Amino acid sequence: MSAFEFSATPIEPALLAGALASPAAGGFAAFEGRVRDCNEGRAVTSLEYEAFEALGVSEGERIVADALRRHGASHARCVHRTGRLAVGDVAVWVGVSAPHRGEAFAACREIIDAVKHRLPIWKKEHYAEGDSGWVHCEHAGHAPPQAFDYTRQAALPQVGAAGQARLAAAHVVVVGAGGLGCPVLASLAGSGIGRLTIVDHDRVEASNLHRQPLFTLADVGQPKAEVAARRLAAYNPTLRYEPVARRFDEALGAELLAEADAIVDCTDNFAAKFLVNDLAQRTGVPAVIASVYQYEGQLQVVRADRGGSCLRCQWPEAVRDGLVGNCAEAGVLGPVPAVLGQLQAMEVLKLLLDLPGQLADEVLLVDLLVHGQRRLAAPRNPACAGGCVRVDAARPGPAATDVDLMLPLAAAVAAGYRIVDIREPMECAFEPLPVTGQQSLPLARLLEGGLAVEDGRPYLLVCAHGVRSHAAAEYLRARGHVNVWSLAGGLAAQAG
Amino acid sequence: MPRVELRYYALLREQAGRQSETVETAAATPAALYAELADRHGFRLPASQLRVAVNAAFSDWESPLRDGDEVVFIPPVAGG
Repeated sequence: MSAFEFSATPIEPALLAGALASPAAGGFAAFEGRVRDCNEGRAVTSLEYEAFEALGVSEGERIVADALRRHGASHARCVHRTGRLAVGDVAVWVGVSAPHRGEAFAACREIIDAVKHRLPIWKKEHYAEGDSGWVHCEHAGHAPPQAFDYTRQAALPQVGAAGQARLAAAHVVVVGAGGLGCPVLASLAGSGIGRLTIVDHDRVEASNLHRQPLFTLADVGQPKAEVAARRLAAYNPTLRYEPVARRFDEALGAELLAEADAIVDCTDNFAAKFLVNDLAQRTGVPAVIASVYQYEGQLQVVRADRGGSCLRCQWPEAVRDGLVGNCAEAGVLGPVPAVLGQLQAMEVLKLLLDLPGQLADEVLLVDLLVHGQRRLAAPRNPACAGGCVRVDAARPGPAATDVDLMLPLAAAVAAGYRIVDIREPMECAFEPLPVTGQQSLPLARLLEGGLAVEDGRPYLLVCAHGVRSHAAAEYLRARGHVNVWSLAGGLAAQAG
Repeated sequence: MPRVELRYYALLREQAGRQSETVETAAATPAALYAELADRHGFRLPASQLRVAVNAAFSDWESPLRDGDEVVFIPPVAGG
């Protein structure tokens, strides 16, 4: 016999009281809550109680056990009605037996108060005028919520208890806890994905905050993965969060994908996006990849498990970072990654719940300035043969780094390199090169063909961090200029 | 001359200074059309760095253009 239960049939106080009788109990106290014929001035004809029973029972048992222990009572029992009740019916019954009256009264009072405050029970009043209304639940606003409630989502016929169970059993890896990652994580935690892995090696910067609402000003300097996991645990403590504050690389990706149901790419660079794509191809784990640029975004779902197309089908020449701006360089309005991140979360839920309309062999273009959306058919590229796994040869590997030179700029000048500063004029003015005689040519103009390369002479391209110069050097190499190099790490890596 | 509807995204939208336009062109292929537009709008990215979609499907740069086609040039983007 449970110390707390719900009953859909009338409560019988005499039977319940009898069961609590004991030779050692000198006192017995009972409380009966009954349906009144009015509430706040309105005539009430009947009531309906609805309860979240699984949670209510465990919490109710805890209330009874706590009260017995605290007051030294012997036995107690509480029964709460559900369903339709008429005026005068017993809605809740509490009985306590104890050695003396004092313990019995105190424990009984504590149990009924806690039940009214803490249990997830809702009451609908039917009025004499013929209308009805759900009235204030006493438990709301007093105690913290006791369970994360998915009822609004489980109410969807396509979700239901079975769908909710599927989400609870799922493991999703989210790479990047930035502008895309924050909304993805929040929505996936809200939907009850049982296990979320959060990969990000960066720390929170003040410039992240406008589009990354999982973080606060006080978090600046803290590891993003860990702060995100903490915030999400406060939001929905019923899930498992695994922060990984390491750079996402092939070994880490392979390890994480070994037991994942989906991977969500929320990174801000091509190298990481292609790595996610390639891992998804190799493992068959579905990948949901998105990118944003200023007011726009692109979304693609890679389903190697269904023989679908991949990122490299669309971009056979692996795109180099540095050729197009990221959020830091080009700027971005907060709602843009927020919308694209929510679209990613939507695709994850669609694929886990097997909902219709999933993106398949398509690229979705979203333009938030004009509210334009386009679903472009993006079929498998036949040249991307063998399920797109021929990518190893094309992946920027160690060979790609041999355009990078790590040396002091002065030494490069002395060795006869022509120095080309490919930064924007504002950057050059702000931080001039520590040498003279260089040519100034912003990257965009270089890509237009603005650099007349004299073959035979070595060129060294310079930018702030070596990303743009690396891309530009590879671009020129691909056009036959073999003696073009990039200053590794850019100006930032020059000592002094 | 065939008329085609154009949509621009990301860098190309910035460089063209517009989201869309309708042009009459003698260009027979997306590649020729892009070269023509690159000249007019000062597009800096080479076609090799872009993809093109015709009538809502990724397309070959050398496929023939027809009157009324909708052409979208898509630059790669990586922001997150």
